[in-house]
Amino acid sequence: MKPEQILKLPSMPAASPSYPMGPYRFINREFMIVTYETDKELLRQAVPEPLDPNPEGYVLYEWIRMPDSSGFGDYCESGIVIPCFYKGEPINFTAQMYLDDEPPISAGREIWGFPKKYALPKLDVCSDTLTGTLHYAGQLVAMGTMAYKHQVAPGGVEAQAKGMTRTSCNLKIIPDVDGGPKICQLVAYNLTDITVKGVWVSPARLHLIPHVNAPAADLPIKKIVGGKHFVSDLTLPHGRVLFDYLKDA
Amino acid sequence: MKKSDVKALPSMPLQSPTFPRGPYRFFNRKYMVINYRTDAALIREALPEPLEPAGDTVAVQWVDMPDGEGFGAYQAAAQVIPCTLKGEACNFVSQMYLDNTSPLAGGREIWGYPMKYGKSVLTTNADTLTGTLHYATQPVAVGTMVYKHDAFKADHKKEGEHLARTQITLKLIPDIDGTPAIAQLVAVRFENVVVHGAWTGHARLELVPSVNCPLADLPVREVVGGLHMDTDMTLPYGKVVHDYLAKK
Repeated sequence: MKPEQILKLPSMPAASPSYPMGPYRFINREFMIVTYETDKELLRQAVPEPLDPNPEGYVLYEWIRMPDSSGFGDYCESGIVIPCFYKGEPINFTAQMYLDDEPPISAGREIWGFPKKYALPKLDVCSDTLTGTLHYAGQLVAMGTMAYKHQVAPGGVEAQAKGMTRTSCNLKIIPDVDGGPKICQLVAYNLTDITVKGVWVSPARLHLIPHVNAPAADLPIKKIVGGKHFVSDLTLPHGRVLFDYLKDA
Repeated sequence: MKKSDVKALPSMPLQSPTFPRGPYRFFNRKYMVINYRTDAALIREALPEPLEPAGDTVAVQWVDMPDGEGFGAYQAAAQVIPCTLKGEACNFVSQMYLDNTSPLAGGREIWGYPMKYGKSVLTTNADTLTGTLHYATQPVAVGTMVYKHDAFKADHKKEGEHLARTQITLKLIPDIDGTPAIAQLVAVRFENVVVHGAWTGHARLELVPSVNCPLADLPVREVVGGLHMDTDMTLPYGKVVHDYLAKK
């Protein structure tokens, strides 16, 4: 294999790259998001400076079913997103993500710094209950439930699509071959070509179980704010550097 | 979290880093290595320049790691291509499959080990040392070897040297726009290798074509033999031996 070919590879291994070049299109991506209030001091610790966590202490616990994802296939994901501010502008920080498919784990970590680990999340309609579960290393670590399509969300699909254009960011850390930091950045991205097919709000409950390698429960639940369920098509494009810890800090 | 603490993190995510800092010591790391002859022209295609092929024999190996510092318990399968770099004999690790994110992410992000998620099992079934690999639910490799037919020997100098041979990986990490941020050949050598036992013997290998786990792209023309080892070793950090992005 020649150097020109190597520099055109989208990812490792050269013999069969884990993921192709983006952007990545998702069809019928289904979300269940339970918003809850946590301890503000713990939230501050979980958010890297120069981001500031939201003053209300809100956390979004998410399950996402992705049955048709270009480059990645069919998989499910679960994790924590923290609404934050960067220089006064609202931005969502992805704090933890767990999924059951290696290419989006590797692509997520290596391109944008999504903090992804392998685990077994599930999002299913179990009789009258929209149910999310997450097992990590054989143990149940999160269980969320939401009443099924009780009420269309205020503002409907248009308001939801607009909300999803909000900037999101991750902390991308890639070590050098000696273990020192090679890349240490806040990476921002915005979803594009968003179509929302339905959006509902309903009562919800969430149960988080302490686990050292999937520590969702480190941001404990003080109060459930509510649940939101929606189905959408969207595109995840490449990102941009918001803050470089090796240059700016 | 303060900026200075962010810079000191070993890996993502901030709240529970996927892997700690190295080096990483492995205890009772067991190998079944099956060496086989394949097509020299296909080896040339699979090897990134400036690595040069060394013969037409490659290996598929199963590794059982019940106790890996920082990583836990897991199993892996790999394809290894003997080669040379500037005249030095080394092994290019071309594909690896395992079932644990911690070493998978650490392997890719630190050294560029070409790791994907697959279910590898190395086990002893009655009289047969057996390695299997499933990728995305399908069986893609089966290796079998006779169980400890050689008499036990105390001197494992040769196997120790074999394990300490330089491994080369092709580390590719994209930038946030998808273009390459890191494109390097990385060298790593196992340290403090202890061989508890080593046996050679007859072996067979079946590789099934699969697009995302293409071990069979280097087809089996003739099995040379099997090597079964029980070892302890340390996986240290690596060093860059070729940088594809360096200005010429």
